[in-house]
Amino acid sequence: MTIKWLLHWQPNAGTTVNTQIHTEITQCVESINGVKGGRWKATFSYYRPIQRDQTMALPFECSRDLMGISLQEQPNKLYFVIRSQRIVLEADSMIQMIMDKLQSYRARGSVTFEGYQYQFGDFQLRVGKVIPNSQDNLRGIVLEVEYLPISSLDKSRQIMEEFLDVWQETVSKRSLPGHFMHIDPNFVEYGLSDHYTSQHTAIQYVVVMGQLLVAAKN
Amino acid sequence: MESSPTEAPPKQVAVAMDRLSNAARLIADIRIGADRILEALFIAAQPHPCNKPLHMLIKEESSMRQRFQDLRTLGKQLEDSGVLNSSLRSRSKSWGLHMPLVCPDGAVVAYAWKRQLAGQAGASAVDRTGRWVEVEKRHDLKAKITFCLRIWQVPDRLALKAFTDQKRRYFPDLGDEPSSEESGVSKKHRGDQSSVVVKRDDLSEVKTLSDVLVRLEKEAPNVRISTYQRLDWLKRASSLSSSNENLTEPNLNKLGTVLTGNMAKDQVAVVELLIPSVLRAVISLHPAGSINPDAVSFFSPDEGGSYMHARGFSVHNVYKHITEFAAKALQYFLSTEVDMGLYLLLRWICSYQTLFTKLCSKCNRLLSMDKTSTLLLPPVHRPFRYSSDTKTSSVQSTNTQSVDLTTAFHIVCSLDEA
Repeated sequence: MTIKWLLHWQPNAGTTVNTQIHTEITQCVESINGVKGGRWKATFSYYRPIQRDQTMALPFECSRDLMGISLQEQPNKLYFVIRSQRIVLEADSMIQMIMDKLQSYRARGSVTFEGYQYQFGDFQLRVGKVIPNSQDNLRGIVLEVEYLPISSLDKSRQIMEEFLDVWQETVSKRSLPGHFMHIDPNFVEYGLSDHYTSQHTAIQYVVVMGQLLVAAKN
Repeated sequence: MESSPTEAPPKQVAVAMDRLSNAARLIADIRIGADRILEALFIAAQPHPCNKPLHMLIKEESSMRQRFQDLRTLGKQLEDSGVLNSSLRSRSKSWGLHMPLVCPDGAVVAYAWKRQLAGQAGASAVDRTGRWVEVEKRHDLKAKITFCLRIWQVPDRLALKAFTDQKRRYFPDLGDEPSSEESGVSKKHRGDQSSVVVKRDDLSEVKTLSDVLVRLEKEAPNVRISTYQRLDWLKRASSLSSSNENLTEPNLNKLGTVLTGNMAKDQVAVVELLIPSVLRAVISLHPAGSINPDAVSFFSPDEGGSYMHARGFSVHNVYKHITEFAAKALQYFLSTEVDMGLYLLLRWICSYQTLFTKLCSKCNRLLSMDKTSTLLLPPVHRPFRYSSDTKTSSVQSTNTQSVDLTTAFHIVCSLDEA
């Protein structure tokens, strides 16, 4: 599978993200001759365990921070991550139905990442807005950078870092109040290997969501 | 005897092939004639006076004239039938022939076959004929001799060889009687100054395919080399998919082998070189079982499909650029070292292990914008010219840049370096 790095927009202290910034970033991509492609979308959901008996405490092994991610590149799969225990799981999308029938977990809220994708040589860029499903306002901006030729995290690290430098330089020319950040999750802790998979992508989304929540609280 | 477009395409091809064979024969005769003229001059230079050289010169001059006339006619015929120019391209698929995608021996036919057939031997011969005609007009014997000395030392032996090889390969039933004649002639000329054979003591034992592979395994232990028969490779290429490489490996290992024992060594036609996580190179050998590479192409280690062969192109820009560059490197390796081409090529490919990590030696960055295609690419050029540190008997001086297998350049940066 191709390598992906997920970046999120970190607004400067005291400012918030807005559609204007999103437009500027899109123009940035177009200015480096990125060829516009189709739409892309990823969905992120929080799951809460269903308690039949409200008076009793939840069983110990029930996780409170179960998160589910569905990705466009794998339409039949659903990815679950329990961040506190460093667990990632790839499941068939039928699992939703199973969870409903078992009355174990239910999705309590979800967030959509969506936007357009751009082809730039051997790179593919996806600029996305982060929109909670219950509301309509923009909560964040993400950029997914994909390098197509190889799938080794190790071998691609330098290329991605250099691309990031080039990208940051391009964006900084626009003097926007903020910058893109990349957090490198420790994939080894999740039991994943050097060969990149959709599970790696799922973990990156979870990490980014965590950052966006922190930013929203401040 | 012009071939008209209304003739059946296979007949046209056969006629063109015949003419090209005749052209090759004429070229060989002309070279022998030039030799005789030189010999006559040598005798004439002797202190002992004699009429013999004069007779030889007169006789040789008239036969040379005749041969050049024949060559000129032949060239004109070839030109008219469209073999030497690009008029064929406007008609679809060269005389309406739908070239078979896979030849009797399993080789894949590329579009450039007809250019290779016609262009190398025929076009260069016609070109030289033209130049000889000009020299001839001046009625200057000295100029003619100088011309012979200079022109016939160009290693057209390679062009002739490539031409006869291709003909033998794609049209095996057309007969190849000129080839033995040519190889006889070329062997005669091999000892003279026009050959660029470099002998290296330490590499002289790399004579067979097994030797090459064994030696390379020692030099680059983390590179995986496998060999295949041609049709087996096509099967493997089609089943390679974008899924995890580790999953497909065990099933298909039966098809390929790292040349153990004597498993059909004479049928090995494809060599696959895999640098894990970096690239996969496919090299085609011709004839099968030899150590003569005739094409190379680079792909992503995750790519798969029937387009993955030594004349195919990757879908990714970085590998496409390396493939284009490698074609030049291959020509260089074949032209400078006899029988060493495969070994040098494989060793050069191994220098690409650092494709995604080594910074460009000129601009010290990994990614750089390629000006023509406006793409960000890592340094895809690795130098392939080198100096021989043993004596050579070459008239043309070899390149004296020393190869540093640890340098790498972007396309733009290497243009400035050259």
